[in-house]
Amino acid sequence: MILTVIALLLAAGLVAWAAERFAGPGAPRWVSVLAFLGGLAWAVFEYADGAAAGLYAQQAFAWIPRFGINVVLELDGLSLLMVGLTMFLGVVAVVSSWDEVEKAHGFFQFNILWVMAGVVGVFTAMDLFLFFFFWEVMLVPMYFLIAIWGHENKGYASMKFFLFTQISGLLMLLAILALVFFAYDVGGEVTFAYADLKRASAHIPGDVRAWLMLGFFVAFATKLPSVPLHTWLPDAHTQAPTAGSVILAGILLKTGAYGIIRFAVPLFPEASQDFAWWGMFLGAASVLYGGAMAFSQSDFKRLVAYSSIAHMGFVLLGVYAFNAQGMQGAVMTMIAHGFSTAALFLMAGALQQRLNTREMSRMGGLWTHAPRMGVMTMFFVVASVGMPGLGNFVGEFLALLGAFRQNVWLAVAATLGIVVAAVYGLYLLQRSFQGEPNPDVKTMTDFGAREMSVMVLMMLALVWLGVYPQPVLDLSAATIDTLGVLP
Amino acid sequence: MEQLWLVPALPLAGFLLLLVTEGRLPDKLVACVGAGSVGLAALVALFVGFEFLQSGQPSFSLPLWTWMAVGDFNPSIALYLDPLSLVMVGVITGVGFLIHVYATGYMWKDHEEPGGYSRFFAYMNLFVFAMLMLVLGDNLLVLFLGWEGVGLCSYLLIGFYHRDPANGLAARKAFVVTRVGDTAFALGLFLLFRELGSLEIQQALAASSALTPGMATGICLLLLGGAIGKSAQVPLQTWLPDAMAGPTPVSALIHAATMVTAGVYLIARMQDLYLLSADAQHYVAVVGLVTLLISAFAALTQRDLKRILAYSTMSQIGYMFMALGVGAWSAAIFHLMTHAFFKALLFLAAGSVILALHHEQDIFKMGGLRKKLPVPFWCMAIGSGALVALPLTSGFFSKDAILLTAYETSGWLYWGGGVLAAGVTALYTTRMMAHTFFGENKTAPHDLSHAAFSYTRIHMWLPLVVLAGLAIGGGWFGIGVLDGLLGPVGELSHVSPQALATMIVPLLGIALGIFLFRRRGDSSRFDESKFGRFLRGGWGFDRLYELVFVKPFMALTRVNKSDAVDLVYRVTAGVTRGFHYVFALTQTGRLRWYAANMAFGLVIVLLIAAAWL
Repeated sequence: MILTVIALLLAAGLVAWAAERFAGPGAPRWVSVLAFLGGLAWAVFEYADGAAAGLYAQQAFAWIPRFGINVVLELDGLSLLMVGLTMFLGVVAVVSSWDEVEKAHGFFQFNILWVMAGVVGVFTAMDLFLFFFFWEVMLVPMYFLIAIWGHENKGYASMKFFLFTQISGLLMLLAILALVFFAYDVGGEVTFAYADLKRASAHIPGDVRAWLMLGFFVAFATKLPSVPLHTWLPDAHTQAPTAGSVILAGILLKTGAYGIIRFAVPLFPEASQDFAWWGMFLGAASVLYGGAMAFSQSDFKRLVAYSSIAHMGFVLLGVYAFNAQGMQGAVMTMIAHGFSTAALFLMAGALQQRLNTREMSRMGGLWTHAPRMGVMTMFFVVASVGMPGLGNFVGEFLALLGAFRQNVWLAVAATLGIVVAAVYGLYLLQRSFQGEPNPDVKTMTDFGAREMSVMVLMMLALVWLGVYPQPVLDLSAATIDTLGVLP
Repeated sequence: MEQLWLVPALPLAGFLLLLVTEGRLPDKLVACVGAGSVGLAALVALFVGFEFLQSGQPSFSLPLWTWMAVGDFNPSIALYLDPLSLVMVGVITGVGFLIHVYATGYMWKDHEEPGGYSRFFAYMNLFVFAMLMLVLGDNLLVLFLGWEGVGLCSYLLIGFYHRDPANGLAARKAFVVTRVGDTAFALGLFLLFRELGSLEIQQALAASSALTPGMATGICLLLLGGAIGKSAQVPLQTWLPDAMAGPTPVSALIHAATMVTAGVYLIARMQDLYLLSADAQHYVAVVGLVTLLISAFAALTQRDLKRILAYSTMSQIGYMFMALGVGAWSAAIFHLMTHAFFKALLFLAAGSVILALHHEQDIFKMGGLRKKLPVPFWCMAIGSGALVALPLTSGFFSKDAILLTAYETSGWLYWGGGVLAAGVTALYTTRMMAHTFFGENKTAPHDLSHAAFSYTRIHMWLPLVVLAGLAIGGGWFGIGVLDGLLGPVGELSHVSPQALATMIVPLLGIALGIFLFRRRGDSSRFDESKFGRFLRGGWGFDRLYELVFVKPFMALTRVNKSDAVDLVYRVTAGVTRGFHYVFALTQTGRLRWYAANMAFGLVIVLLIAAAWL
């Protein structure tokens, strides 16, 4: 069933592309929305259907048997969460950029659908060859989304995005191949299967293991992104069209976090333990550096982009704390950040569409014109500042709690990040929506029903995650237990 | 008692209703929802509290649901009622209701855009909800939820008039400075959980005796950090005077009666933990003593009516902290309660004055308002009496209990400091009253008798009168009622030299004040002296922080706007592009040039080879 879903997303992409020719420029977006709604319904159905042996769905058949390459797709708790988030944000991305796209509507939706198909594959593949395949499938359509529909500096940004991802992906490919060769030495057969490689990696010499782990880590840390591999992100996010930013921040970053949790750590548990201090250090550094950088931006979207780096720092911090709270906090942060940042990017897109600028110096006092947009910006800023009762708090608090048990001083440093978050978050709100209304902005249309419904959905999601996160925590707990990395 | 959940739920419902209607409700209905939800909560609280006292149970807890369960960490959303939280709930809903009623008039048409009235009450209701969660939380995480929630509402309400960037700045300053304290608080929670494995307050307190003294001190100090931020104590006090940018009912409710006393509540709530650490208790007392002195003197040269009251609030909370530190636990809560009455009264009455003078807040531009604004005058006079701790007012009983306990448990230093500050309190209060209400009139009050916010309307004067009654009589039943709240109240001797001095010093302060300020303007020489300006600026803390924290941070972020890390990649890309350019230059497409180059290269290679051999 999983492969069918991926195939349907790919097929929907082709249909959307064709639909522009046959049914006009308004048709492709409907194809996308229907595809994502279908995918969301499927995820909900699998959840309601319950799990058998921890898996909500699975699929396995041989692909290239000669090299031990199989199609193995599994949907466990963590995968289900991420796939559900993907589908939800797919709807959000399409609906929010409903009339933003001005050219090649069909090809635009084609790219969105193909990125998402790749993402679903990444979140479910349990064969490393297949995983890498989907990892690359995600990349190219995203490149097109930025390069074709991006803003003024799209060429530079898309190329930077492509190079960072590609080069770091190359390191992962090398690590995968080396792992397979070493596993061949151990077990006598070529295999790309996750479980086999996990078993085999225990027999690899320690220093080699550390290098292989780093190969994976660098690829995922670039995607996450972690300081100092983050510099592609502000450019890519800022230049991408709204839907692209929503997908990038909401989902693609999470593939990096997912990769660390699913592959980098479980495949090399000892090496990761040895690396734990560095992992947490990079996390804390991302929190503080990302926060400080966010504050220094004058571009609304760029500020939100840097804040993403800060938030993803909590993920690293939590994962490498190597305890239940830290790991769960990381997962929770991934999901909550998916909503809160997607909403803020959406807001940036809505502002750019209305004002033709992202510069906050050309905003100010917008509340007067658009109180709904003001309230929404305020809500999502407050969420990302880590207000208890909203999802981000649960994630960040758990991650910090876990980190504190492991390393007090790194946790203290990262906790200071919540002060920095308040500084840049409220500054963002002040410069865009509060203060004396900017005389250059005569009027601005407020959110209508379409935009409000998307925003309210994300708002409700964050409140739900904030006051009753248990269903989500249970889902991820099931997976984390099976990873076997916690003491 | 099962209805306890309704107490926070009602204001929350009010908030949600005002939120989803997006300011489209008629203003009269907004007033009903805004004040009504808090009024209902007060009624339910009264009912629940009565039932609770009848039952004779020491405490009652109402678990609602498990918030998050992760490994051994499983805090639940649960409410906890005991005498301490009951007192707090009473103050929050009772005083809160009165202030809401007053605000329905005060804020009438006093907002910048359509829907502002509704937005104001939405924030206020959300605040009451958060404050109730803070005091009713069964575990520290729920308390933290309320703690951050009130901080958010404080931010929203300080910046309520959001068109003026100065208000936005004050709001952000309040949020960020208190967040520094909150960081310490959060770290305290992490440490507490690591050491005791639970954030349930009662469970943690019961287990706390196993802590090493150093660890207990560490946790206490981290929690104290949170308390200092929220309660505007030195060194995190700088946000409170600026917070006066908010509408006056906000100052009365949040920055006088309730939120700023949250720190006092936190320490009182964690009493057993603080009792384990004499060091930590000592620091609490020192923080209180330093703050009450510093802010009493700072109040002496303020010109802005609300800023005087703000510094006075800091100073009074300083008394509460000192009380906690010297072991006068019940007296601290007693003073918290009486202070809520008289300070809310002072703020609301000051608000009436300010409205009548069309937002004039400078006391040097007022004067002679005693006859023209009789109700605000008498209310402020009563509030001032309680603030100064004139005998028989509520403030007298509570301050007396604090100072005498301080003398008995901790010696003359704390007592002396407290008494000195009491004298200064009398002085600045007299100055405030003299400049505002006596002498010649400088700004004529508007005739507001037909306006919705005229103090002649019942919803405006009734809260004032009730609060005035409480400010006088709120302490008559004495601290005895709170006996057993946080341990027994010791018998205090009221016939002793120190008791007499405690009573007389404020009177001397008033006498000195009358002598000094009999003629208006006499104090301005001192006000404008270097030292006077230093005091008015709050002892230079703002400038210090500006220099040490704000400027370096701003400079750092300005310098690094384009992200130094990216240089690595940009240089790499640049070098690559450079090579590309150089090599591209060699591709001219001219065959002769290629041949010549080839020959030249060959010669060099051969030469090298020859030299090698």
